[in-house]
Amino acid sequence: MSDILQFTGISKSYPGVKALQDISFSAKAGRVLALLGENGAGKSTLLKILSGDVRADTGDITIDGEKQTYSSPYDAIQAGISVIYQERQLVPSLSVMENVFPGALPKTKLGTIDRRTLRRETKAVIEKFGLPIDPDEPVGRLSVAYQQMVEIMKAYRRDARIIAFDEPTAPLAEAEIAILFKLIQQLKEEGRIIIYVSHRMAEIFQVTDDIVVLKDGKLVKTLTTCETNEHELIQAMIGRDLGDTYANLKRNDKLGDVVLEVKDLCTDMLHDINFTLRAGEVLGFAGLIGAGRTEVARAIFGADPITSGEIIFEGKTVKFKEPKDAIKAGMALCPEDRKDQGLLLQRTIRENTTMPILKKIRRGPFLDHHLENTLTHESVKKYTIRTPSINKITRELSGGNQQKVILGRWTNAKNSTKLLILDEPTKGIDVGTKAEIYQMVCDLAKTGLAIIFISSELTEVLNVSDRIIVMRSGHITWDIPREEATEENVLEHAMLV
Amino acid sequence: MSDQSQGSPGTLQPEAKQRQSFLVLLIRKRTLMMLFLFVIIIAVFAIRTDGRMIDMRNIMQILNMMAVSTFLTQGVALLMISGKLDLSTGANGTLCGMFLAYVLRAGVPLIPAILMALAVGALVGVVNAALVNELNMAPFIATLATSLIATGFVILIAQNRIIPIRHPVLIDYGSYMLFRFNVGEFSFPGVPVSAFLAFCFMAIIGVLLHKTKFGRQTYLVGGNPQAAMLSGINPKKMSYILFIICGLFSSIAGITLVSRLQSANMQGLVAQRFQGITAAVLGGISLGGGTGGMAGAFVGLLVLNTFSNGMTVQGTGPGWQHIASGGLLIFALTLEYFQRRQNEKIVA
Repeated sequence: MSDILQFTGISKSYPGVKALQDISFSAKAGRVLALLGENGAGKSTLLKILSGDVRADTGDITIDGEKQTYSSPYDAIQAGISVIYQERQLVPSLSVMENVFPGALPKTKLGTIDRRTLRRETKAVIEKFGLPIDPDEPVGRLSVAYQQMVEIMKAYRRDARIIAFDEPTAPLAEAEIAILFKLIQQLKEEGRIIIYVSHRMAEIFQVTDDIVVLKDGKLVKTLTTCETNEHELIQAMIGRDLGDTYANLKRNDKLGDVVLEVKDLCTDMLHDINFTLRAGEVLGFAGLIGAGRTEVARAIFGADPITSGEIIFEGKTVKFKEPKDAIKAGMALCPEDRKDQGLLLQRTIRENTTMPILKKIRRGPFLDHHLENTLTHESVKKYTIRTPSINKITRELSGGNQQKVILGRWTNAKNSTKLLILDEPTKGIDVGTKAEIYQMVCDLAKTGLAIIFISSELTEVLNVSDRIIVMRSGHITWDIPREEATEENVLEHAMLV
Repeated sequence: MSDQSQGSPGTLQPEAKQRQSFLVLLIRKRTLMMLFLFVIIIAVFAIRTDGRMIDMRNIMQILNMMAVSTFLTQGVALLMISGKLDLSTGANGTLCGMFLAYVLRAGVPLIPAILMALAVGALVGVVNAALVNELNMAPFIATLATSLIATGFVILIAQNRIIPIRHPVLIDYGSYMLFRFNVGEFSFPGVPVSAFLAFCFMAIIGVLLHKTKFGRQTYLVGGNPQAAMLSGINPKKMSYILFIICGLFSSIAGITLVSRLQSANMQGLVAQRFQGITAAVLGGISLGGGTGGMAGAFVGLLVLNTFSNGMTVQGTGPGWQHIASGGLLIFALTLEYFQRRQNEKIVA
């Protein structure tokens, strides 16, 4: 059993973003190390490097002083590393025992699977952890919590020396969390190295021994859990330095009439959402991933069904069956995932710009290509999209320029947009372009647009928005003007129970 | 960061004139590559068959053969651009042709009979669309099932007989030559009316795709259905329309076939059932949707038809013809693989 896992000078860049910069720390056997940081701080990238999914640009991982060089997740597993992600890596239709022993199934003399041995050995693992699981049960029929236990057993069976958990408690209920912590305790006592990623403060203090705080891809602090407190941790997590970017923002100061009023909105994921939004106002939505911010946007936009509640848009109660209705009424949504939901990557800037207004740019039965070109040129100019041609395929643009194409889609002369919903508009974008986008948002507000600004980056929500709504697990926990919001009090409302 | 290398903010610069060799251009542009392949095929077979391949009569034979597969191709190509697939076109067309012959013999006048045959084709399209959209089946499976069902109906109607077509209008449609002329010694045998019609339709669909809202939405839905939906396009409605259009074109293909043969038999379009998909893929329409166009599909058709005709003319047996056709498809997709890698390199 190894004693020490050392990260030395790990760096990783993606186009336009430095995901990790010179990260060095070590994790010791028999201790649980917490990785803490805001969304986008670099925790996931670090885990992916550990698991062999992603290769670091520079830096080394050493186990007991032995440098690890692996080119695939398989090599990492061979080196004794197991990363348990939020997305299960199990085969739902196969039984528990087949999932616990993938690739190492015991065989009979005939070469078939020796189910009896398999069952016996799986039972031994299950009993060791004291879990009420039947080895023959298909994994798909287990609850989320028990599926996670199966993943842990899988790692245990492989005799993984290092086990990393990525927000393991996110889908679990209280009682299940207790079982998980017991398991982690057991693994720790066996002298394994445990890495634990979570947003939940209480848990950090409950299960971890050491804490590493990341921010913007940099290591901020290494702490010992018993010597710190919640306040110190939150202090360490916040405070992104973007220089004078925010101070120089030219904001809109004239608010108009109420454009949107949401009353007691409920969906499968949301509970009693109430808020109002005025013309020219930028309303920020803060909260952790999974808090329900995207769901609010989708429910308003008619993309997800509403179970109860009322949406009043421009003085009229509206019920949208599909996004098409919302667009017709004057709403626009720039979705969270540019590549999956926003853009047509293999089509041109021009085609991506005119998607929602095809009906309005017709001349006779045909599309008016001249008008289409003019509109696209206008938005390329307005949003300073860097491209040699409006006929460039959007896949070939940088993330920031892609986001500007989407902004241009909803704000050209032919749109009648009155409410613009921006979901994570600066995700994966470099700092310079971020600053440009902030000013664009403020400029759009000046034209009288009402804007919902959803972001996981606290500093940005706090500085760009006029008002901030904080969400946690499908509820609105706070609704305050910008002047009163600080990173600390917002983060408290987003994280603490 | 690639930002700076792409020009200054907000200004459009003329596309940097990359000095591209002919080879690079050929690799980048799929249609051009296929056109090149087409020329090679013609040249090789013309030499091997002492010119019989490019004899006027043989060219007319190719056009005649192409009429049916052109109709089949355009429907399925549209559907593939929208990200879906239809395996039932051959069976559907066979059924429509058989149905037409059957109702004509039963005494139904021509126009209603043709409308009924078209309606059958459209109905198969609706069923396909319903299975895919309402029951969430994979197009591959859903249309495989309807193709089996359509084939079953063909057998039930035909009862092992061949039903003759005697209507003069249909016989004319199947055999009449347009633009026939003689200048002294030279006689031009004309273009089959069905082929002419098929090419006209293909041109119209091509224009629709590139010039109209409908065409653009087909690409948008195929490129990213989620993004299309969030931009106010109804992917389900598009899918119904396109499946119906595909069914209608299958039906026209079937009607064209029985008009040319002057009878309907159970084999019908069985031999051509995958021609549409093959031609579309050869022409650069990917199964993933959102790319390609009618020009490419047309070149794909040319390649496919000249290749098989050339082999027939030089006397290659059906066994080797099949093997060679499979090889051609693999060759074309291999080219596409290298082409994609090349393009990605240019991006990076």
